[in-house]
Amino acid sequence: MAMSEPEQPLTYEHASARLEAIIKRLDSGEAGLRETLELCREGRTLVELCAAELEAVGQGLEELRLDDLVTRLEAGAGS
Amino acid sequence: MGDPSLQPAGIDGSLLPGPFGVGHYAAKLRDYLRQRSRVQLFGEVWNVRVSRVKVYFELRDADGALPCSMWRNDFDALRLGERALADGSQVVVGGGLDYYVGSRTSSPAFSFAVTKLREQVALARDAQLDRLRKTLDAEGLFAPQKALARAALPRTIGVVTGEGGKARDDVLAGLRRRGWAGRIVWAFAPVQDRHAAPRITAALQDLAATGAVDVIVVARGGGSLADLFCFCDETLCRTVALLNVPVIASVGHHTDRTLIDDVAALSCSTPTHAAESAVPVHCTEGRAEIMQVARRLSVHGDRVLLARPAIVASARRLSVHGRRALLHRAQVLARLSRAPGEHVARERRRLHQGLREMRASGRRRVLDERARIARRALVLDRKAQAAALDARRATGLQAFAMALAAHDPERTLERGYALVTDRAGEVVTSAAGARAASELSLRFGDAAVDATVCDGDERA
Repeated sequence: MAMSEPEQPLTYEHASARLEAIIKRLDSGEAGLRETLELCREGRTLVELCAAELEAVGQGLEELRLDDLVTRLEAGAGS
Repeated sequence: MGDPSLQPAGIDGSLLPGPFGVGHYAAKLRDYLRQRSRVQLFGEVWNVRVSRVKVYFELRDADGALPCSMWRNDFDALRLGERALADGSQVVVGGGLDYYVGSRTSSPAFSFAVTKLREQVALARDAQLDRLRKTLDAEGLFAPQKALARAALPRTIGVVTGEGGKARDDVLAGLRRRGWAGRIVWAFAPVQDRHAAPRITAALQDLAATGAVDVIVVARGGGSLADLFCFCDETLCRTVALLNVPVIASVGHHTDRTLIDDVAALSCSTPTHAAESAVPVHCTEGRAEIMQVARRLSVHGDRVLLARPAIVASARRLSVHGRRALLHRAQVLARLSRAPGEHVARERRRLHQGLREMRASGRRRVLDERARIARRALVLDRKAQAAALDARRATGLQAFAMALAAHDPERTLERGYALVTDRAGEVVTSAAGARAASELSLRFGDAAVDATVCDGDERA
């Protein structure tokens, strides 16, 4: 039996590209009521994902030396 | 020396000769410098400036530098091309010291007046680099990094650079310009001596091995080509090519092209540009855009909500239309229920009419059939008469045939008679004829025989 491909996590670029497509579709006025509702629901999820990604790189620059990172990773792996 | 009347008094108490006019002294200095030995020097060319009549540059090495100038005609006569005087070119120059004395309106300048120039090191180094570049290209090592997906919004960026270099500040400035404030992992390494290439290679491998960095920037500011040569190291370049994390290289100035620029995922002209390229999304603008998208989604969502009253109104209108349709149907049914008798009478009249039409049609059909049968009987009668006439004619013909058969000589012979003929086949019907013929043929019913007439045996 064929193994199914593991689902890739949604990246910022994919999410933003999908959002652009959603807005374009909504702006076209061709989407029906049900589709509009579904697109808005999907769009809100994607907005939250993009906002979370931007938030993750907006908290303040964290500078580490490579040795510090290795130590931190080893500590994380050990715990 | 100038006008002696304009010569000022010297400094009180000074034992130095003079004061002399500066132009006079400058001219003497020029003459003095020009008398110095003419020599050959070697070093790297920097800060080349070409004017209409002269070419200016600095000749540098690790211990010092000297401003140089060369008449444009002399330089052009060498036919070296512009490449010979690119920053970082290794040259040997021949010439001597010179001094431009300047004037009241122009600045003096000291320079080493170059009359001969030869490029040497760069050619050999370029040839070596070209060979290695072709080898790596032929092995397909320029492609793997460029095929790697680069995150639009990396969370962790690794940077390999010199710890005290300006490139570090430039990288930070580039990230700030992008509005990016994630995690940056510094992997400091020497970036210009003979230990640089192995240390840079190890730093890149260690950063990639953590699995925690999304992209790696290798940054170094400008320098001579000799300084940047560590970024052409074969092991370093092969390591970069096979790394599973995208590497963005920013080494030297935009005029420099090291091998790491070829194997890296991306080559940038400055560390600032490299940092900006590591974060393709402008975070500040991205946040504004996401807000804008959220607002637009909200507007579309509100439109759906606004559509609800319209839907309710439509439902009401549909309800009204439904009631009207029901009323109309009820009216029709009531009308039908009021007039069943009319309907029955109408149906009866329609049926009677149909019956009359059927009867008339039946009569017409009977008459037509009768006439057709009469016509057919007449035809048959005529045909029967004709057939009877033919039968009568056949009977007559049969009688004729029988009469003919009765007179047929063949039939007579069958009854026992004989037919007498002479030799010529003529029929002999008398005794005199037989006697005259003498030789006869007697033909009986079954065959013919020849006969001879004897005169003595006459029977009368």
